[in-house]
Amino acid sequence: MPVNLTRNAIAMMNSGDVNSKPLVQVVDIKLIGNSQERYRFLLSDSESTQHAMLATQLNEQVRTGRVKKGSIIQLIDYICSTVQNRRIIVVLNMETIIPEYEIIGNPKLLMGSEPEANKSMPNNNLFEPSTRSTNNRYSAPAPANKAQSFQPTIQPAYQPPPNYKIQGPIMKNEAPARIIPIAALNPYQGRWAIKARVTAKGDLRRYNNARGDGKVFSFDLLDSDGGEIRVTCFNAVVDRFYNVIEVGKVYLISKGSLKPAQKNFNHLKNEWEIFLESNSTVELCPDEDGSIPRQQFSFRPITEIESAENNSILDVIGIVISVNPSVPILRKNGMETQRRILNLKDVSGKSVELTLWGDFCNKEGQKLQEMVDSGLFPVLAVKAGKVNDFNGKSIGTISSTQLFIDPDCPEAQGLRAWFESGGRNTASISISKEIMPGGSKNEIRKTLTQIKDEGLGRSDKPDWVTAKATVVFIKTDNFCYTACPLMIGDRQCNKKVTQSGNKRWLCDRCNQEFEECDYRYLLQVQIQDHTGLTWVTAFQEAGEEILGCSAKEMYLLKYELQDDTRFGEIIRSRLFHQYLFRLKIKEELYGDEQRVKITVVKVDKVNYSAESRYLLDMVTKNLRNRKQF
Amino acid sequence: MDTSSPAAFVNGGLLRMHVGRKVRTVIQVTRSDAGSVMGKSTDGCQLVVRGSPPAPLTSYVEVIGVAENENSIRAELWTNFGDSFDASNYDQLCQLANGELKHLFL
Repeated sequence: MPVNLTRNAIAMMNSGDVNSKPLVQVVDIKLIGNSQERYRFLLSDSESTQHAMLATQLNEQVRTGRVKKGSIIQLIDYICSTVQNRRIIVVLNMETIIPEYEIIGNPKLLMGSEPEANKSMPNNNLFEPSTRSTNNRYSAPAPANKAQSFQPTIQPAYQPPPNYKIQGPIMKNEAPARIIPIAALNPYQGRWAIKARVTAKGDLRRYNNARGDGKVFSFDLLDSDGGEIRVTCFNAVVDRFYNVIEVGKVYLISKGSLKPAQKNFNHLKNEWEIFLESNSTVELCPDEDGSIPRQQFSFRPITEIESAENNSILDVIGIVISVNPSVPILRKNGMETQRRILNLKDVSGKSVELTLWGDFCNKEGQKLQEMVDSGLFPVLAVKAGKVNDFNGKSIGTISSTQLFIDPDCPEAQGLRAWFESGGRNTASISISKEIMPGGSKNEIRKTLTQIKDEGLGRSDKPDWVTAKATVVFIKTDNFCYTACPLMIGDRQCNKKVTQSGNKRWLCDRCNQEFEECDYRYLLQVQIQDHTGLTWVTAFQEAGEEILGCSAKEMYLLKYELQDDTRFGEIIRSRLFHQYLFRLKIKEELYGDEQRVKITVVKVDKVNYSAESRYLLDMVTKNLRNRKQF
Repeated sequence: MDTSSPAAFVNGGLLRMHVGRKVRTVIQVTRSDAGSVMGKSTDGCQLVVRGSPPAPLTSYVEVIGVAENENSIRAELWTNFGDSFDASNYDQLCQLANGELKHLFL
C-alpha cells in the first residue's frame, strides 16, 4: 500500500516543532558510542534526511528488530537541539508503523557531510533518561559539564532556543546539575550533583514499625575535597540501588533530599544526610578518578584516647601486638555473638585494648590472629571505633566501624618504620587498665572525717587518697562471691557466676560452664582513725591482705567444714591492725540516692620509719605555719 | 603510770642541758665492757653509759638514767632496741622535744 510520509517533516522538526508527530522512514541505523550502546537513525520524509539519536530506553526496539532500516515510524516524542552547529534530534518515543518498506523517494541529507561518530556524540554519562515518557526535554550537555570545577554561583536556568514552542503542563528544567563539593550540600541548594567514592556500604536491614515492614541501607561517600556524607535508601529505593553501589567505586549522584544527619548512627563530619528517592540518579563513573581518595581518616594517637570522652567515635592506627581467640558471648537480647580482644601500640608509647564484635572476629580478627601467630606485627587502622571507659579507656567496634590491615597510607608507613627501628622493643603503658594516680611520691593523705568534710568523690572523676586507719569490724555475711576463673586476654574474667544444675557454674560473659569456680573477696570492713570511722569495700587483693588468707580458704572453713569457731578466731585475730589504706572514693547512684562509695584499692602495713618521718614532717610544717601568724 | 619524774629525750648535743637530771637516749653500741658501754648518739657524738648492760646487747639500746656530764650517763634502765633503727627520726624527736614542744614532754 502506498505510504505517505509527513511532508517536510524534517524541516519542521529542525525548525523546532515537537508536536507534529510526523511519519518518517528510517533510512539507516548505525550503532555508535564508546561506552554506551547508542543508535543513530537517519530519518527521511522522502525528500530530506536528518540524523536522530535514539534514546537508550528504545534500544530494545532496534535489538529485537522491531525497528530497522526501512521501517516507517511515527515520532511521538522527540526533541531538537543544536550541538556544535549541527541540529540533532533525539527520539524519546516512537512507534513502528510498518517494520519493512522500501526506501521512499530520493531523500538527501539536509545538512553537510556525515558527521564523525565520536565528535558530536554527546557524552552521555549524565543522560540517563527517566522511564516516564513525558514532555521532558533533554539538552545535549555542553562539554563544560565534564569538568569538575565548581562555580559557587547559582546554577543558570536552562534557556530553550527562542523559536521553541513551550507547551505541556509543566516546564521542567532538566539541564543536568553541576557537580558541587559535598561540603556545599544543604537542603536549600536547589539542584545538585556530587561525584564521590563509596567508602563504606552498610548492610541491608529490615525493620518493622507501626507503618509496617520496611528495609533500609546506607552508604558513605567521600569526594575529592575530602567532604563526606552518608546516603540512605528506603524500601523501593533500596531495590534500585543496593546492587549498584560498590565500595571503592565512584558515582555521580543527583536528586536526593537533604535532611539533618542522625548523629547517633552517623559519625561522619557532616550535619546533613542524603536520602535517595524514586527520581534520584546514581551513575557509576567507570573512569578511575585519582583525585578522590579511597578513605579519609583522622587518626588520634593512643595517648589522646586516654582523655577521650566515653562513647565518642574516633579513628586510630597502631601495631597489633597481641590477638586473643574469639569467644562466643551471650548478649542481653539473647542473641549470641563473637568477641575478640587485641592490643594496639603506637609511637606515643601507649597501648590500647581493641574489642572486635561479631563478624570482625571471623574476618579481620582471624586474619590478624594468623599474622600475629606467624610472628608478624601488622598495622591496623580503625575507622569509627567507639571509646569505652569501663576499665581505663578501650575501643570497641560498632556496626559502622571499618578495619584496614596494613593500609597503604603514610601513617601506616610511619608506624612500620618506627616499629622496626626500635619501637618494637619499647615497653608501652596500657591505657586500658584502671590507673591509680599518684605513686608513693604524691600520695594525698587524709583523715577519715576529711573524706566527708571535704566532699571527696563528688566530682565526675573518683578521688584517690591514702588514710592510716585501723580495722575495727569485718562483716562476715557475704564476704566473698563465686567468680569466673576463665581468662580473657591476660586478665581473669572474675564476673559473678551462677549455679547451673548441680555442682556446675555458668558465666554469662564468657558463656561457658565449668565445675570449679573461683572465690573472690567482697569484704565490707569498718576502719577507724583518730578522727572517725567509715565503711569501705575491699576486693580480692585488699581482702587477702586484711584477712591474711585466701577467700577460698575462708569459704571452705565456713561453708564446707562449717568450723565457725576457727572462722571466728581468724576474723578476731585480724581486727585492730593498723594499715595504710589506698582508697578510691566515688559518689554513685544507688537506686534513687547518691552514696559515696569507698573502695580499698591497696592495703599496706605501716612502715614505722617512713610513717614517723611523715609525722615529723607534718609537725614541723604545722609549727612553721603557726609561726606565721 | 608514774609521771613524777619524766626523763628528757636527749641526743649527744642536748645532754649538757640536763646534767644532773633524768634523761633518756638511744645509742648505737660501739664497745661494750663490764660496767660501761660506749656508743654513738643519734647526732653522732660519742657517749659513755655506765651501768650493767643486758646480755646479749643489740646494736641499738635505749638507756634511761642520770646525766653525769655532757658525754656520760649513769644508766638505771636498759632496753634493747634491736639491730635496725631510724636514728634521724629519733634525733628530730629530741630536737622538737627540747625546743618548741618542750611543754608537751616535761
